[in-house]
Amino acid sequence: MTVDPEALFVANQHRLFRYFRRAVGQTDTARDLTQDVFLRVSRTAIPKAGEAEVTGWLFSIARNLALDHHRKRLRRPNPVALVDDNSRPPTQDVDFAVNEALARLDDLDRDVFLMREMAGLGYQEIAGACGLTPDAVRSRIHRARLELRRQLAAPIATRRTIPMRHSGREP
Amino acid sequence: MSDTHEVISAFLDDEPFDPSQLAEALSEPAGRAFLLDVLALRHVVQPQGGHQAAASEQQRRRAPLKALIAAAAVFVALAGGYFVGQRGGVAPTDAPPATRVVEAPAAWQDVPAGRIR
Repeated sequence: MTVDPEALFVANQHRLFRYFRRAVGQTDTARDLTQDVFLRVSRTAIPKAGEAEVTGWLFSIARNLALDHHRKRLRRPNPVALVDDNSRPPTQDVDFAVNEALARLDDLDRDVFLMREMAGLGYQEIAGACGLTPDAVRSRIHRARLELRRQLAAPIATRRTIPMRHSGREP
Repeated sequence: MSDTHEVISAFLDDEPFDPSQLAEALSEPAGRAFLLDVLALRHVVQPQGGHQAAASEQQRRRAPLKALIAAAAVFVALAGGYFVGQRGGVAPTDAPPATRVVEAPAAWQDVPAGRIR
């Protein structure tokens, strides 16, 4: 199956952006990295394969870019916060706690979890992106959920008191 | 938490699962609590405004395109008007014949410039 790069961009830009937004924790960087994925795609031949395989291939590029970003960030000194951490609004507090909890996960568990929850990928697509079997993806997602459930017990308990949807979108 | 709850994860992710295993997992209070916690976790992890951010990103990308389209429309209108004018949209014609001829009076005098009589 031949895939048009533009169609691939249109179909995947939002889920790549959502994946990066949590993977790197910054909206601007997430935008840049989303662009970088398609810059790389434009320089490479898109594999002639099924939709799940192509999506997996696209997210393997995204995953490598996110890992590169983390490596570069580790080499740079941490900037000093100009804003008092205690002055954050409650929603940002939760956002910060989520990013912290995600950062404590094993790299692969985090990516597998984010590809599922933020990008909405299926186990087969995630398996392709991360070089795993679908069964391994299933185990890792479950493990990540257990760990995040433990670390984010307070916001989860609060969220359980509000009506919610199966998809995770706000009602 | 045991691995028996993996089936709940698979169910929530719309992946294939064994219905009997799911029934067994949900028969325990811990299984039901896990299901609700995973749903709440999904809401907690998906940042508020994530969809709006993606939409505004799309709008941001479209803004230069809109400006370009507007500029192109103005250019096409101007160029079109010019060519229509060139090709005779308002065709030049000879002046119509005079309907009335005004004769100068006999006492007509030329007055040097700058003087009033």
